[in-house]
Amino acid sequence: MTLQPIPSIHEIESIEGHRFPGGTYRIAHWENFLLTGCTGAELLADSMAHPSALFHLPISGSGTSIAEMFALGQAESDLSIMIESYDWEFFQPLREETDYQVSGGIISAKRCTGDDGNIYDRIQFQFDVALNDGQAVARSTVTWHYTRNTL
Amino acid sequence: MNWQVGDNIPEWAMEEVSAERMRTMAAILRDPNPLHWDRDAVAALPHGLGKRTINQGPLGLGYIVNMLHQWAGEGCVRRLVMRFPQAVLDGETVTARGTINAIRSKNGQTLADCSVRLEHDQRGVLLEGEATVALSSE
Repeated sequence: MTLQPIPSIHEIESIEGHRFPGGTYRIAHWENFLLTGCTGAELLADSMAHPSALFHLPISGSGTSIAEMFALGQAESDLSIMIESYDWEFFQPLREETDYQVSGGIISAKRCTGDDGNIYDRIQFQFDVALNDGQAVARSTVTWHYTRNTL
Repeated sequence: MNWQVGDNIPEWAMEEVSAERMRTMAAILRDPNPLHWDRDAVAALPHGLGKRTINQGPLGLGYIVNMLHQWAGEGCVRRLVMRFPQAVLDGETVTARGTINAIRSKNGQTLADCSVRLEHDQRGVLLEGEATVALSSE
């Protein structure tokens, strides 16, 4: 296997504190219909969106994308990302056709060594979702491992 | 029903994790990762997973949410933290299970802190984590 160059620790640590542009997101009915069906559930009552929307809503709403999040950590490939954890907090239910204000960024970026001796970079993103009047709705914390030279 | 610490949450099963649903989900999420829609990409990995696509993490959390909704009602989830020790693969039958670890009051609500997991009959625990659920308003 040909080893690929690994970003320096400085390059990785320097993305801690990066902020996404921020913005708004509205979960369309069709989108919630399809997403809820993908989870195997029936549509929820009172235009409630399935909580699984708390993955893509903040990412898109904050003005970033999965592809950009991969690129910020200099992922070797899409296949090299491993999920450590997803942490979803709900202060009120998500609803369809409601405008949400979203902010987010990178709260931690560290070089780590796994139990197998392989180096990886642990990058943690956090997003806050609020109503237009500022009421907090939800928070999503995404922690990914950017593996290096394991594929 | 009067729930107690140590009680198991009624389980929820996804009878067949579907590659078609993963493709739909990839489009909704705008997720470029071929692991979710290209079986050949998964087969090429050195993990021995075979020619099966890997379920998106948010779908696994969705199964846990469905179990919690079935138990405590829609909109009951206050927090869900999940880790991913193993991949969930297309064609598999998986079951969401959980146990109540604590019951407490906060801001006029009764909350249950639970351990939750997604299991496969042969491969064991695929996802594991903790959930906080609102059981009722006091």
